Amino acid sequence: MSITVFEPAEAVRVIAIPDTAERFKTAQLTVQLLVPLSEESAAANALVPFLLRRACRTFPDFPALKRELDRLYGARLTAAVRRVGEAQALYLQMTCLDDRFALNGEAVAAQCAALLCEMLFRPVLENGTFRHDDMEEERRCLLETIRAEINNKRGYARTRCTELLCEGEPYAVRASGTEAAVAALTAADVTAAWERVLRTARVQILYHGNGDGHAVAAPFVDGFCAIDRTPCDLTVTRRTTVDTRRDGEELMAVAQGKMVLGFVNTADTVDVPANRMANALFGGTAFAMLFRTVREKLSLCYYCMSSFDRLKGVGMIDSGVEADKLSVARAEIERQLALLKAGEFTDEDLENTRRYLVSQYRTVGDLQSTLIGWYDGQALEDVLQTPEEAADALLTVTREQVTAAAKAWEIACEFRLLPNGEAEEGGEGGE
Amino acid sequence: MNNQTVFHNPRTGETVTRIDHPSGLTIFVWPKAGYQSHYAVFGTNYGSIDTAFDLNGTHTEVPAGIAHYLEHKLFENEDCDAFQRYAATGADANAFTSFERTAYLFNGSGDITPSLEILLDFVQAPYFTEATVEKERGIIGQEIRMYDDTPGWRVFFNLLQAMYQTHPVRTDIAGTVESIARITPELLYGCYNAFYNLHNMVLAVAGNVTVEQVLSVADRLLKPAPLWQLDRPDPHEPREVGTARVEQKMTVAAPLFYFGFKHPMEGMAPLPPKEALAGEALLEILAGHSSPLYTRLMKEELINRSFGMELFDGPGYAAFLFGGESRDPEAVATAIADEADRLRRDGIDPAAFEAARNALYGTAVMSLNDVEDCGDQLMNGHFRKLAPFEELEAAAALTRDDVEALLQKSLCRERTVLSVIRPR
Repeated sequence: MSITVFEPAEAVRVIAIPDTAERFKTAQLTVQLLVPLSEESAAANALVPFLLRRACRTFPDFPALKRELDRLYGARLTAAVRRVGEAQALYLQMTCLDDRFALNGEAVAAQCAALLCEMLFRPVLENGTFRHDDMEEERRCLLETIRAEINNKRGYARTRCTELLCEGEPYAVRASGTEAAVAALTAADVTAAWERVLRTARVQILYHGNGDGHAVAAPFVDGFCAIDRTPCDLTVTRRTTVDTRRDGEELMAVAQGKMVLGFVNTADTVDVPANRMANALFGGTAFAMLFRTVREKLSLCYYCMSSFDRLKGVGMIDSGVEADKLSVARAEIERQLALLKAGEFTDEDLENTRRYLVSQYRTVGDLQSTLIGWYDGQALEDVLQTPEEAADALLTVTREQVTAAAKAWEIACEFRLLPNGEAEEGGEGGE
Repeated sequence: MNNQTVFHNPRTGETVTRIDHPSGLTIFVWPKAGYQSHYAVFGTNYGSIDTAFDLNGTHTEVPAGIAHYLEHKLFENEDCDAFQRYAATGADANAFTSFERTAYLFNGSGDITPSLEILLDFVQAPYFTEATVEKERGIIGQEIRMYDDTPGWRVFFNLLQAMYQTHPVRTDIAGTVESIARITPELLYGCYNAFYNLHNMVLAVAGNVTVEQVLSVADRLLKPAPLWQLDRPDPHEPREVGTARVEQKMTVAAPLFYFGFKHPMEGMAPLPPKEALAGEALLEILAGHSSPLYTRLMKEELINRSFGMELFDGPGYAAFLFGGESRDPEAVATAIADEADRLRRDGIDPAAFEAARNALYGTAVMSLNDVEDCGDQLMNGHFRKLAPFEELEAAAALTRDDVEALLQKSLCRERTVLSVIRPR
């Protein structure tokens, strides 16, 4: 698979991945805007993509815009906010039917790209700011999304663990901002955030599909080039020591306890392929050490998994376990980690893990969203790595490298979500 | 001798081969040029609703959750589990149990042969002992507890329990801690022998694969299945809902709701394919993001971005469902029922229909990108007696009259249920 990358302006990168074999029925266009993640600006920035997604000057309200998207064969327009390293990444994405399949021969991809471009650069403003009604609706939706984090108990426990693990660091700032900060915003604040993002963000425009990706990206490039920009610096600060343990627990009306352990890779530099191997071997697959022991051998849980963020050099191990067995699960997790660090795993386990990961990377290109995700995850990198290159890098990872990677992992915190003893009430019928 | 039928779809340029294998198994192969990955799914027409069955004239009843339990246990044989075996091929394996089917699957790259051998082997080689069955109880017990803490899951199942009076779709897929306590190796073997007959199964393979590769494994490993007679007994589900309202309290930020219209069904047949497509379009017209109703509910702060809808249907059940978060679920339910009445009275706007049809067709074409979607479509289509690409073509050919006809016999406010999870 050939990709072309060019930077038409400082901190504006276009990645075009042509679907020359015409494998896909769709085209996908993503605009990714990266700014530093901070308590002060996260809330205002987070609202920007959702307000932009509502309308543009040609289709000035959401129903009209949605009707146009439906007419364009159900083109999907997505807005999102995520954390990438210690950056806040704002997304606008359009996925649409490839022109070859339009029932009436329409140029679907070009029309979708033009729409997205207009949304980004020419939103509907009133007296110089986002409209009051738009602002209030998006503010309410974002507030309700933030409050609803508690509905997903596993996700909530992981978020709390991240806050303990990286307390006081940008990594612990929620990409959507806090409830209080979102509530305090004005339309002028968010409009200023939009203008600031256009002026300062590091930009990636990713296109995957049939046709000329550069031509699709051209209006976006023109838009950014017309702005007097001062791109921001984005760096990730890594911890290489664990001075004090930061543990926490919370009681809630739940049936099952959740335990999340946060760990830090304390090595001076992160050997990414070795850490990927160590994580998968430890808790990243259905034949990993944690799956085989905590779940299959001891029957303690349905899931017990590990994950690793190569950009920050931190990871998590999480499991849902009966509250009175959390300590048993914890002891087994620690025992397995000690075995990993001691190199107590078979060559067969190592090779199976390698084979699994290589296969996963080699098939990244078979799914458009995964492929786009692969590159948007590298927005902070100066040199892009293809999935094939990442797979090749795994081929030479040695047992010693895996062990060395794991030895640098130090548990830095533990968060437990525990039942408070109030049994959940069952469903009750009644008029 | 294999009986092969080739399905070519000129609109998309895709080709699928169907093989009626002498073992009794139906096999679909969908080669996708240029793909590195392959995907295989081996499914049986057996799910959580099959808590009673008639095998060769003998009626049997089994505990709720047994199909799901069987799925977990089939991964394990006398020597090691299937995950261990797959590990040597690099494939990513999994399985799932839904209301109406159980499926075992893998995706990977390179030569599909070793992974396909594992799949066909372990699914045909059950091994259940007291000890292995007991071991699984703890794992599945924790899976059930996890879902007990998942409000989105609870609000959905509370709705089904209220809506259905006798149909087993009202029972949680994994069963309960109490029901799975009654599962034994003998019961698992009984269900296996009834439902894992190759005549009741399908193998669908898509991606970097050829018909020859699949047949070379299938011819070696498939064990001819005896002819048998298996029926899903009619639960005689009444047309009326059981209870119109159901509520539960959990740790949630704001009330969560599901509001559903029960659709009248006969016996254990699913909704006819054309009606199912018309139903999808109807939902989009009624409450999609461009609909007047959605705009109004958002403006009145009654729904947020979590709002969604689906046509939920399977053997002997169908319902139009709407769900999300709301400060006032009753007001949302009333507004939806009122809008359904208005649509029935005033008719469907041609432009709204056109947009919904285009979106439906576009989504159907877009789904052909993913080898997993392709494999799953073949499996699901087969169990619903749909030929490859039939649904896609039906979407392109859908008319406003089709949707109007469905509207006249559905979305009846006398057969609705509102399920709510309120904050503690």
